[in-house]
Amino acid sequence: MAYKPQFGPGTSVVAENRRKQMNPDYQLEKLREVTDEDIVLILGHRAPGAAYPTAHPPLAEQQEPACPIRKIVEPTEGAKAGDRVRYIQFADSMFNAPCQPYQRTYTECYRFRGIDPGTLSGRQIVECRERDLEGYAKDLINTEVFDPARTGIRGATVHGHSLRLAEDGMMFDMLQRCVLGDDGVVRYVKNQIGEPLDRAVEVGKPMDEAWLKVHTTMFHSLAGTGFREDQEYVEYVQRIHSLRTKYGFMPKEE
Amino acid sequence: MTEATYPQCRIVPARFLNPETVERLLNRILEVGGIRRLVLNGPNLPTTIPYGPARGKPNPHPMRKVIRVGDQDVELQVHVGTILLELEDRSYIDPIRQACDEIFVKFPYGFTEGKFIKTQATVSDYAKYGPDADKLFLGMTDPKSRGGPLIIQGLK
Repeated sequence: MAYKPQFGPGTSVVAENRRKQMNPDYQLEKLREVTDEDIVLILGHRAPGAAYPTAHPPLAEQQEPACPIRKIVEPTEGAKAGDRVRYIQFADSMFNAPCQPYQRTYTECYRFRGIDPGTLSGRQIVECRERDLEGYAKDLINTEVFDPARTGIRGATVHGHSLRLAEDGMMFDMLQRCVLGDDGVVRYVKNQIGEPLDRAVEVGKPMDEAWLKVHTTMFHSLAGTGFREDQEYVEYVQRIHSLRTKYGFMPKEE
Repeated sequence: MTEATYPQCRIVPARFLNPETVERLLNRILEVGGIRRLVLNGPNLPTTIPYGPARGKPNPHPMRKVIRVGDQDVELQVHVGTILLELEDRSYIDPIRQACDEIFVKFPYGFTEGKFIKTQATVSDYAKYGPDADKLFLGMTDPKSRGGPLIIQGLK
């Protein structure tokens, strides 16, 4: 019988969303149209339209050692061209953000190639070749894993994940990279490390509370679905906890 | 001789407050009167980016504004999330609670009585203010910052 991944336990809507995002066969819903140029501006790694700086000559031009793994693995476009490794980092609010750091890492590992994710409690960074990064960033910003108010693109000074929201529903950002305009559209006025942009980059309107509640992958007993409401999830986590604790004692079979 | 203890309370709104809301709330609380000391707490909003690749660059922030409280201009340095109050006596607590009810209509807030402002000097306080520090100043401002507390005059 062919192996069919289950992606994760749980019966709640949060668990279902987690499975959906992780499942590469599921097409993430596209919600906004941020252009390639806008994404390059937010990332701030190169000027829009500039050539990709390289870290090494293109693979086709250099002698590769005889290696069976290199024969099996097809290099990504960025690796083929010898691009630099660059990053995008997200901070997700605890208040029903559509994605969260661990979830992002799982999702990206199932969906993207040639990435190096770094997961922390309130932020998640993903590194890869610049050309690939821009493509992946576009997916991550334009689809349902992003919300202009509850998710921040923050290369440095990420604090905000566990704080209360501002009065207008935006997550706290010490550098205020994105601002909610009077017309209800969120605009990035600084790039991800906090340098001012020449022009504001629109990332669309924040999703409403009801949508967030249905699409979040974060348990929150006050703002959304409580973790303890999902009995199956609790059982699973307890099982893992119990097994790893017992294994800590290195049980031996007599 | 026993020292007088003054009632303290803490206001914690469910959202971080815009400068305009802080201004309205503070002026409303000043109308009530009876405030000995007041602290605005929240995450810092520095004027320049403190770290990262853009370190040292100016950090314009819409929440860092000068507000008018009483007849004094106050420059907010934080995104206000908690307000600590020390009152002359307990009779002011109910009117202040009422003032909060008037201001916080879009989201709830927490209101607790207790002891929230420190009473003993820490090592940092000692280094800044010395051994004979005025106890009124303790806990009013970060001893490591250059700025001091602000005195709002003319209410008595």
